[in-house]
Amino acid sequence: MSSNTLEVSMYRYNPEQDKFPYMKKYSIEKPARDIMVLDLLHLLKEGDDSISYRRSCREGVCGSDGMNINGKNGLACITPISSVIKKDKIELRPLPGLPVIRDLVVDMTQFYAQYEKIKPFLQNDTTAPEQERLQSPEDRAKLDGLYECILCACCSTSCPSFWWNPDKFVGPAALLQAYRFLADTRDLETQNRLEELSDPFSVYRCHGIMNCVSACPKSLNPNKAIGEIKSMLLSNKKQVIASDGVR
Amino acid sequence: MKGSLIWRAQRYSSLIIFTYFIYVAYFIFSSDIMSFDIWTNFALSAQLKIATSLIFMLLLLHAFIGLWTVGTDYLTTRTLGFLNRSLGRKAKLLRSLYYLLFALMGLLYTAVIIYTLWL
Repeated sequence: MSSNTLEVSMYRYNPEQDKFPYMKKYSIEKPARDIMVLDLLHLLKEGDDSISYRRSCREGVCGSDGMNINGKNGLACITPISSVIKKDKIELRPLPGLPVIRDLVVDMTQFYAQYEKIKPFLQNDTTAPEQERLQSPEDRAKLDGLYECILCACCSTSCPSFWWNPDKFVGPAALLQAYRFLADTRDLETQNRLEELSDPFSVYRCHGIMNCVSACPKSLNPNKAIGEIKSMLLSNKKQVIASDGVR
Repeated sequence: MKGSLIWRAQRYSSLIIFTYFIYVAYFIFSSDIMSFDIWTNFALSAQLKIATSLIFMLLLLHAFIGLWTVGTDYLTTRTLGFLNRSLGRKAKLLRSLYYLLFALMGLLYTAVIIYTLWL
């Protein structure tokens, strides 16, 4: 193979036609400039329109195009091919551990079920002020590194604990969001949230492997958030709630 | 059962076991003269026999938590199903057998400790 050619090995599976998934090789002329993996997929799709993958915003905001690129999960739209290419080869697979619908498209039902479980919304039953519930800049700063998650599932699907127990272990993405609400001073359901996570699997099945940190395309740290939740569960501090609803 | 209780049991048991072995090591290495009699008097003192029995029970608890975690991680439908689908369908049975084996080994281990230390 000439050095001007790029070899792309892609996971293909169409349940209506294929009995088993297989890897299909495509040879493509190396682009003149460094392009993103998603652009590479577009080029491949021009030649083979049966290739299926998710995409939407193409700028790392929607989290649709999470996939396994040369063995590491990432977002195709913000991953330059120069950063992943190995010996002029790129291997593309769907996110691991989730059922494959077709090619690089996975069924994320289990992932969203865990997200739903942590009740990802502010819970505060006190009378809402006229304008908004205010926070001090210090309290607001506690949410940095948590709210930015785009739910691309790159972290949860790189976590062996989530592979083995996706129905019991909440997974790094949902746990990051769980801590986002546990750390929010405006949320008043801390005790109930902790109670929901107190079983041996939901949080404690995290063994600190840290694949989640390595895989996160937004450079977030779910492992740190999980550590914070474990600390809260261990100290089990009762939150003192003042009459105005502020902790 | 709470996850934090299991977490604590595993960490605290390891700390207590570590302290015990440090104490025994300190006795061995701090003695100017070490003979069979000195060691026997130390090891068969009532305090150390009680401590040793407790430590080995803690070791059993510690090991059980670890092996329970291994069992619930790797002997599941999904994990075994990766190797072989029919094996995956038998995951629950295999996990039960694994726990039974460990329970039997735990009983044998306890019997050996009682026999060695107290009979």
